[in-house]
Amino acid sequence: MSKDYVQQPGSNSDVRVDGKRVAGKLRFNPPGSGGSRPEMAERDMEFIPELQGGNEAQPAGAHSHDKYRTGTTVGKRTPLVDAKAKVTGQAWYGDDVRLANELIGRIVRSPHHHARVKSIDTSKAEALPGVIAVSTGADAPNKFGVLPVTKDEHAMAVEKVRHVGDLVACVAAIDEETAREAASLIEVDYEVLESVHDAKKGLQDVDDPIHWRGKYHIGSTNIQKRVFQEFGDRSNLEDSHASYSGKWKFMGVNHGFTEPHAVVAHWDSNGRLQLYTPQQVPHYAHRALATVLEVPMHQVNVIRTFVGGGFGGKSDPFPHEMCAAILARKAGRPVRITFDREEVFWVNRGRHPSNIEIKMHADDEGKISGLDIDALIDGGGFASFGHVTSYYNGVLATAPYELGSFHYTGARVWTNKPASGAMRGHGAVNTRCALEVGLDDMAEKMQVDPIDLRLANLLPPHSKTITGFRITSNGMRQALERVREGSNWDEKFRKMPLGKGIGIGCGFFISGSGLPIHWDPNNFPHATVHIQIDMDGGVTVHTGAADIGQGSTTAVAQVVAEVLALPLELVHVRSHESDTSPVDLGSYSSRVTFMNANAAISAALDIREKLLDAASEILSTPSEYLILNDRRIYNKRDPAEGISYLDALHKSQEDKGALIASGAYRTPPMGGVHKGAAAGLAPAYSFSAYVAEVEVDVEMGLIKCTDVWAAHDCGKALNPLAVEGQIIGSCHMGLGQVLSEQMVYGRTGHLQNPNLLEYKIPSVHEMPNVTPIIIESCDPEGPFGAKEAGEGPLLPILPAVVNAVYDAIGIRINELPLTPDKVWAAIAKKMKLENIADANDLPTPRLDFSELQEKLLQRSSEHAKRDVLRQRSEDTNPYINGVLFGFDPNIPPEEQDGGWKISVRPDSDQIENLGLAGSAWTKVEQRHMGGEN
Amino acid sequence: MVGEEHVSMIPAAPSKVWSAEVNGQPQEVLSPSNAILLDVLRDKVGCLGVKRGCDMGTCGCCAVLVDGEPRLSCLTMAQDANGCSITTVEGLADGAHLAPIQQCFADHGGSQCGFCTPGFLITSQALLDKNPNPSDEQVACAIEGNLCRCTGYQQIIESIQAAAAINRGESDLAAPSSDAHPDPHPSGPD
Repeated sequence: MSKDYVQQPGSNSDVRVDGKRVAGKLRFNPPGSGGSRPEMAERDMEFIPELQGGNEAQPAGAHSHDKYRTGTTVGKRTPLVDAKAKVTGQAWYGDDVRLANELIGRIVRSPHHHARVKSIDTSKAEALPGVIAVSTGADAPNKFGVLPVTKDEHAMAVEKVRHVGDLVACVAAIDEETAREAASLIEVDYEVLESVHDAKKGLQDVDDPIHWRGKYHIGSTNIQKRVFQEFGDRSNLEDSHASYSGKWKFMGVNHGFTEPHAVVAHWDSNGRLQLYTPQQVPHYAHRALATVLEVPMHQVNVIRTFVGGGFGGKSDPFPHEMCAAILARKAGRPVRITFDREEVFWVNRGRHPSNIEIKMHADDEGKISGLDIDALIDGGGFASFGHVTSYYNGVLATAPYELGSFHYTGARVWTNKPASGAMRGHGAVNTRCALEVGLDDMAEKMQVDPIDLRLANLLPPHSKTITGFRITSNGMRQALERVREGSNWDEKFRKMPLGKGIGIGCGFFISGSGLPIHWDPNNFPHATVHIQIDMDGGVTVHTGAADIGQGSTTAVAQVVAEVLALPLELVHVRSHESDTSPVDLGSYSSRVTFMNANAAISAALDIREKLLDAASEILSTPSEYLILNDRRIYNKRDPAEGISYLDALHKSQEDKGALIASGAYRTPPMGGVHKGAAAGLAPAYSFSAYVAEVEVDVEMGLIKCTDVWAAHDCGKALNPLAVEGQIIGSCHMGLGQVLSEQMVYGRTGHLQNPNLLEYKIPSVHEMPNVTPIIIESCDPEGPFGAKEAGEGPLLPILPAVVNAVYDAIGIRINELPLTPDKVWAAIAKKMKLENIADANDLPTPRLDFSELQEKLLQRSSEHAKRDVLRQRSEDTNPYINGVLFGFDPNIPPEEQDGGWKISVRPDSDQIENLGLAGSAWTKVEQRHMGGEN
Repeated sequence: MVGEEHVSMIPAAPSKVWSAEVNGQPQEVLSPSNAILLDVLRDKVGCLGVKRGCDMGTCGCCAVLVDGEPRLSCLTMAQDANGCSITTVEGLADGAHLAPIQQCFADHGGSQCGFCTPGFLITSQALLDKNPNPSDEQVACAIEGNLCRCTGYQQIIESIQAAAAINRGESDLAAPSSDAHPDPHPSGPD
């Protein structure tokens, strides 16, 4: 109940002493009104914002959606709406789709890294009893790929195979044994070609590049994409106060989702393809299927099954999906293909193995005057998302800190390995790790506290990064303060004995892609949601958002329930079929909560308005006096004067039958004009800070992460239970990459651990005790203020652990994962160098504050006040990266400093000195070589 | 698989009658004599809640109770379970009423994508059957053979402890959500 509204004292009856009936005790039509409670629940004022008269604190200020909060579900710990299907075994994943008369499909894979397919003889396989259909690349010559600019995949090899495990042919048979036998009977004649396994070799000219891009091919190398970006004035970097330079090596990692890929294809009696697949991005699969199969998109129905974990690994359109469709078309029967775990590793799309060199500079006031990144990433056999990854490795490092200058050279090369692609924290994870460790190192050199160094260099809310990203809400400062407090940092950092350490790391990630792929700004919004309500009062929400376990279905249901003030059980989300759901770009780049929930709110507001209009007419009360609460609409001045939700619904349905609304979301115009400005552009960004505590066994080199304090700014936690689950789960995945997970390629380039026994995903025993801390910065454009929580929380755990290891043993290791052999080798090397006989005598780093520390403290306390004002929009002056360095935010920096550059191509005098990935710029495209044009 | 020597799958092993009590119901099916329990349960009996994750006993998704003991059905020959009493995830609920362990996994975030959930439910049910009051360490040891890629295990341990408390009668089955759901029928797949 509202604080202002006092019930008559002593009244337990439903009638007040003045004869009016008491709100909340009114009977209204129970039959069909939905919900299991016959009575209206009281408004839950704990979940109504204080500026709307409720009790929910709003330290970050008001939000435009506040007035639609009804205290129904937003902000409450809400079990996933599909959780019961999952705990009863009813959830149907890819391999659980069993259609009558089904065939089993099996894929023939390449045993060679790189080979030309000279001929394929399928006659023996076709002759085997029980084999119904056989297909090869000749059946599907059209190329596809997740990005329209880099379509380089075929359903099956057309000309070449590009890695061990690449698809060559496929068969469909009556059972698995026959299918496997038939696959083994297919004879392929290969001409083996020279293969490339090292990303560095991918930069060199070769006779037979893995792909050929005609006039756009860079030399005759295997460079798929190269990026150059330079922003700011780099003339003063030579005489910096402190600097860091580190060469990093990151191994490739796999998503390790528990459900192997599976697909069922069925051409129905009308000749339409029904394709069941656990896809994160069903719409892209839909497009690619239409291209490859040469059928119009409306003749394909992509049915997303439950997805047994995605993490980016189920977001490409996959060749096996094409294979199943081709086989099913040939056979005239449904075909099911399910992967072995080994095949999951062949299809991969995991995080890129990376060689990253990072240089950072700080001036004598502890400002970050320069950030130089050079990232060479190993793309494997196909482009996948690599075009974007090449940018993300640089541009997502431009916040949360204010930079004096930024310089990035990136290159992605094809190698004869399973393709790398998008994985949780896409493109941002590895450079973030190097960057945060670099900051820790500079803090050490300047003898200041690394948290204070960060706090004194943060971009404020409502500002712009050096490359022009628009930062809106920003909870970085609170995140750092909360983990510092929670971990008791000041008592522990640089004060613990040898073998025990504590470290800090931060993260920054996009909340949705501002200019997504396959998006036509003139024709499509980013997300569309349809809501329909029939006479029974049940609300059906149609969305294409793919729930991959992150809870997007729950989030969409929640926001609709919140706006309409209906119990969650009245809201049914239908999101599986492309036939019934509007086009949605899928679950990638952490876009779903932000974009889909916004679209859902927009549709729900439409419905709300219609309900209020109807209620207003019945009650003869202007709709601005009406309140929606739990299946009832009433006058806020006299709650007894009201009608039920069903009455209002039926009134508004009088003319048209079902109440239907559509809502959409598109991002506001934003971003710079330079080439690549769209990469990393997002309507909002998430921020996170973690402190990790580790124990290192100095005699064994074994690292145990014991505790993590994990603060993540998700804007507003629509469902704290799910946000905490995402934070802890991100910790788990990041911890795997930093401590144990790696795809190991042997001397001959063969993947040695394509299974879950040797690919070391942390078990329950490796998990630290994680304290999730939710920071709510209330994003002005997010749904009820929400931003992403699925990917950003992964980023900080890597550097936090690496920094904690340094705190524990005084050694920095620039190669992940930190397996015991590597750690011990580093310890042994240091012992030899410093002539230490016993590992237990290793020195540990200590901190003796320099004069700079005071300056940083002062600056960060000033900035803290600035940030509060900006966050609450009490200070709306423009702020761009560079203000910390004395620039006027109202004038472009290049007009204030003659040395300020914005450049996306290296000058000719720069080309020779560009680092490893930068050396890609020494090569010339074919069209400029007089070659193909 | 790739690059390995070819072993002919044909002719398949001769079929044998396999009979067992699955989730309280007697089952009798024909299956190849070399079939693994996982395949028989999924393909012949129709227990699709039993999940295949890794094929080699590393992920725990395929766990079932064989005579009350948790077993990895991908490493168990079907014939070795002949005549046994088998419980899969489909057999945990009492009719339409969820078992406490199921309700708690749903309510405490123990299940995200849900693929590993059946295995975790089976393993933790076996633990709670033997040890109604396990420590967190004992819970961790019980689920050490199950991989979960979503939750980071923490909310799984909370779910198991919550279920243990309900089993001991220390707390009610009420969901922590504001929206208690007295309808006992588990929602079907949508």
